[in-house]
Parts: sequence; structure tokens; C-alpha cells
Amino acid sequence: MNLHTDMTVNRITDEIWEIPMSEKPGMLVPARIYATKGILQAMDSGVFDQVTNVACLPGIRRYALCMPDGHWGYGFPIGGVAAFDVHDGVISPGGVGYDINCGMRLIRTDLTLADVRPHLERLMTELFRKVPAGVGASGFVRLSGEEFGRVMTHGAKWCVERGYGWHRDLVRMEEGGCIEGADPSIVTDHAIKRGINQLGTLGSGNHYLEVQVVSNERIFDPVTAAALGITGNEQIVVMVHCGSRGFGHQVASDYLKVFEKSMRRYGITVKDQQLACAPFRSPEGQEYFSAMNCAANTAFANRQVITHQIREAFATVFGRSAEALGMELVYDVAHNIAKVERYPEGDLVVHRKGATRAFGPGSPELPETFRQTGQPVICGGSMETGSYLLVGTDHAVRDTFGSTMHGAGRTMSRAQAKRTVRGAELQQQMKQRGILVKAVSMSGLAEEAGLAYKNISDVVESVDRAGITKKVAELRPIGNIKG
Amino acid sequence: MAWTFRFLEEIALADIAFEAEGESVEEVFRGATQAILESMANPSTVSGVWERAIEQSDVDPSTLLFDWLSEVVYWKDAEGVVFREAPLALTREGEVWLLRARLIGAPVDHQTQELHADVKGVTKHLYELKQTGNRWKVRVVLDV
Repeated sequence: MNLHTDMTVNRITDEIWEIPMSEKPGMLVPARIYATKGILQAMDSGVFDQVTNVACLPGIRRYALCMPDGHWGYGFPIGGVAAFDVHDGVISPGGVGYDINCGMRLIRTDLTLADVRPHLERLMTELFRKVPAGVGASGFVRLSGEEFGRVMTHGAKWCVERGYGWHRDLVRMEEGGCIEGADPSIVTDHAIKRGINQLGTLGSGNHYLEVQVVSNERIFDPVTAAALGITGNEQIVVMVHCGSRGFGHQVASDYLKVFEKSMRRYGITVKDQQLACAPFRSPEGQEYFSAMNCAANTAFANRQVITHQIREAFATVFGRSAEALGMELVYDVAHNIAKVERYPEGDLVVHRKGATRAFGPGSPELPETFRQTGQPVICGGSMETGSYLLVGTDHAVRDTFGSTMHGAGRTMSRAQAKRTVRGAELQQQMKQRGILVKAVSMSGLAEEAGLAYKNISDVVESVDRAGITKKVAELRPIGNIKG
Repeated sequence: MAWTFRFLEEIALADIAFEAEGESVEEVFRGATQAILESMANPSTVSGVWERAIEQSDVDPSTLLFDWLSEVVYWKDAEGVVFREAPLALTREGEVWLLRARLIGAPVDHQTQELHADVKGVTKHLYELKQTGNRWKVRVVLDV
């Protein structure tokens, strides 16, 4: 088999591949990659190198994992999942990612394509106006330092208290949109100043707001879809992909510096500087965990404020309240985070970096709303090809620390994408295909062209066949906002 | 001009990488600074109504350059600005390298400026400042 690595990669099943501990000195557990043979063969060499580096980190349990949308990242690969014992294991910002609690949110509506198509231009213009995107953008919410501290500790709950959302939204978010244990006093002034004006902004890169349509023929599990509010019949839904913006990045950068110094004191060596880490129970590890939770809550709040703006935009354009339009949240899920979760081995710090929690119906952690369906999993594809709604499984809890993929995964560099296609041309081509795109940066638009990504359907198929998530519906784009 | 920079394509699939080089450490600082400014916006489309004087020092020029580039990203977010230029001078006093720079730019304006990526931070991935012969070179990967 032709792979971008010289390492031995053994087939476990058609969708699971294992790199044994003998392949790199210092590996404490094997590495496992979830992918079809074709996806595995296309994976860059960084995935194999990085997932085996992760397998060398102290306190790791069972396997270092990589999902099928995996590609090279900083320290951990994107698509990486690793669980460390809370007693003798570590926590690593490289296993969370710079954009802490980057995540996905899906909002349903009662509208259909026939309702929206005649108003799409106005709707996208209104969304583009209400949800700032791109470099240097600031949101409409003005906060004092004290109030921003409450955002860090209360997350989406703060938004609902302030009128930016509905109480019932909270049950449809991972952790209810508020993770305990966030301590604003240990967040640096630099991080606060970077984040205080960014609530309600999208950012740039691969972040987006997308208006999508769900057709009957692309619903794979009608019962689960209906339970989640997805009814088909050309139904309109809205997807949001963004995170904690500059605030989360500054938290990650601040603690990478702290950990680079403290690793010597704890006698930890790592294969890559970007894997800097600290024992989870150490003062440095606990401080990072707490600061990371501040950023995670800020990201929940960011997506909630954006949801409020989306609802306002729809209400303006369609002349009815968001409630009358049935704009309920389907779910909000993080894909860059570390959390303490209980498994047969005990309490573990599960790192998911470009990977999504995927708890099955049997998980006691899920609220009653999802006990029949399993936890919704939202996976974003490229802006040209579509996205997926899936649900978690008890298989995932058993096999992958309750984790699955998060998106399509890039296959082409940003520079190469820009050489291949021009932003303005792409915008025009997409318009002809019925997808209206509003973008702050035309070069940024070209960088996100569909040709730069894996085929998300192949990626979704592989996790479905592996049994770690089940397909519910495919969501096709008709309008996209990019930074 | 005693410095150059070029964007690298194959080492950061989802992000931006560049290499800057010059005849001195100071010239490498200038090349790397220009590269990060251009990653955010076309400097020629940005006016100079906003300005900050910045001084930083470190015994290690590699750390100093990393911190300086990170500072540029910080001001972009903290003040919502992009940059036209950043004139700088680097001196050495004993063991300590001292950077005196001015960041000059303007608040973000989608109508008048050609905006590029929202750089979120400078990473340590493959980060290296080194001297080869009489040339200095740095490789930087930006998270976007």
C-alpha cells in the first residue's frame, strides 16, 4: 500500500489502521487512524509523524487517535484525539488547538427553499451586515472588563441572561454552553484586550456562516432527523463555524510559553516544541485548564451572539419573529477542546483537536433531549460541496473516547488554491450554481475553494462505516458568508 | 533593500508560512515584519492615521523577533487596525537586543483597504532564526 510514510501501518478493519509502538522510540501506546484505504493513502506524512509523537506523551491511555479528516497541525494533527490520565497524564495546548472551542452550530427553520430563494440576496446582505467577519472585525456588544469576566465564566448563559437567545437554547449545546472551572483572574491582559471587542464576530480562514437546504433524498435517518427538528422538504437551516477568536489564541500562546519553561522542571521531553505540556494536576496544568475554559465559554458566547444576530436578520427579511420562523437550535458542539470525562480507566483528560465529541444514546452525560437520538454531531464541508448532520454512538464512547471527525479536511495549501482559482471568478461560478457568497476578502475566498478540501462525503462515509457516528442528513449550501 | 521574503507553500496546508532573509538580524526583522503586514492587508491600501511606538528587548534575537511579530498580531485585534508600515531599529547593548519600532496603520475599513487573512498568531512550528554565511534567515508559520 502506498502511504506518505515509511512506518508500518497495520489494517485492523477496513476503516481502522494501527501504527504499532515499535515504530517510534518512546511510544507508550499504539496510534490508530480512522480512515478508508483511499483516505489513508491520501493523508500527508505529518499525520503519521504527529500522531506517533502524541503517542509518546506521558499518561496517554489506549491509543493516540486520528480521524479521517486528519491532516498536519501544530503538535497534534488536526483530527487528533488523545486521552490522558488525570493523575499521571498531561494537558497540552497543542492538543486543543489555538482556536479554543472552535466549533459548529446548526439552527433549523420552518422556511423552505421556495420561501427563501426570492429573498436570498437581501437575506445574505442582512446577515453580512449583522455578523462582522474578516480581519480586525469587532462586534456590536460592548463590554467592561468585569462583564467580559462574566462571559468567561458563564458562556452562552451570559448571552441568554442578556437577551441574546432563549433559555431552551442552552440544553442544545455541549455542556449547556457553560463549562465550570473558568477563572478569569489567570487570563492575561493581552488576551482580554484581544477578545473584549470580538464577541459576535466570525473571523476569517475557514470560518463561515452558511444558509443551507435539506432535501428529502439527502435525509439518511428520517426518525432521528425529525427528532432533531430536521424535516426535509427543501427545509432551510443555518450553520455557523467559528471559535474564541483572538482571545483563545492568546490563551494558547501564553500557556505554550509557560509550559516550554515548566517542562524542564517536570522532566518532560517532547518530540515537537508545539507539544509543550504540563502534568494535568500541576499548578501550570490547572491554570491552563482554567484559562482554556474561559476561552471555551467565550466561544460558546460568541456563537450565541451570532445566533441572535442571525435570528434578527431572518426576522427583518421575512417579517416574522424568529420564534414564528421556528429558528430553534439543533445543537452546538466544540471541536477544539480538552475535557475531563469518565471512562473504564477512570477520569481522563480527553483532548479533541479538529475532532468532535460523539456521545451515543446511552451516555449519562447527555440531557434527556438526546437520550433517544445520541448527541448531534455537526461536520462542515467546503462552502461548495455541503455539510453533514450526524449523531454519536455508544461505539464511539467505547472505541474513540466518544469522538469523531469534524469536517472535510484540507488537501491543498492556501497559496496553491489562490493560484488555481481567483476569488471573484469563484464567487461568480458559485452564484451560477445557486450559491450566493459574501466575502470580506477575495483572496480569502479563493483559499477556501472546494477544490482545496477532501470530499466530505467520503470522510463521513468512513466514520459511519466505522460505527463511531451515524449519518442523519446532508446539508447543501445556498448562501455563504466568509471573512 | 537588504532584505527579502517569500511565502512558502508546502509546509502549512491550512495556514501561512514565509521565509525572510537579510544581511543582518535587523534586516531579517524588517523582512519578517513586511511579510506579516502583507499577510493581513495590502499595506499600500492602508493609511497612517494610527500609530504606536513599541520597545521590546531580549537576550535572544530569535525570541525577540517571535515576540515582536506576536505584538503586531496583538495590536491588530486590540485596536482593530491593519498596518501600512513598521519602521524599526535593532541595537545590541551588551547581551541584550533592543528593538525600537513604530507600528503605523489605520482602523480596518472593508471599503478602502485590500484585506487579507485574519492572522490569529505566530507559531513555533518550524520557527528558526539562523545565520548562514553572511546572511540571516528566519522561517515563520502564522496561524490563520
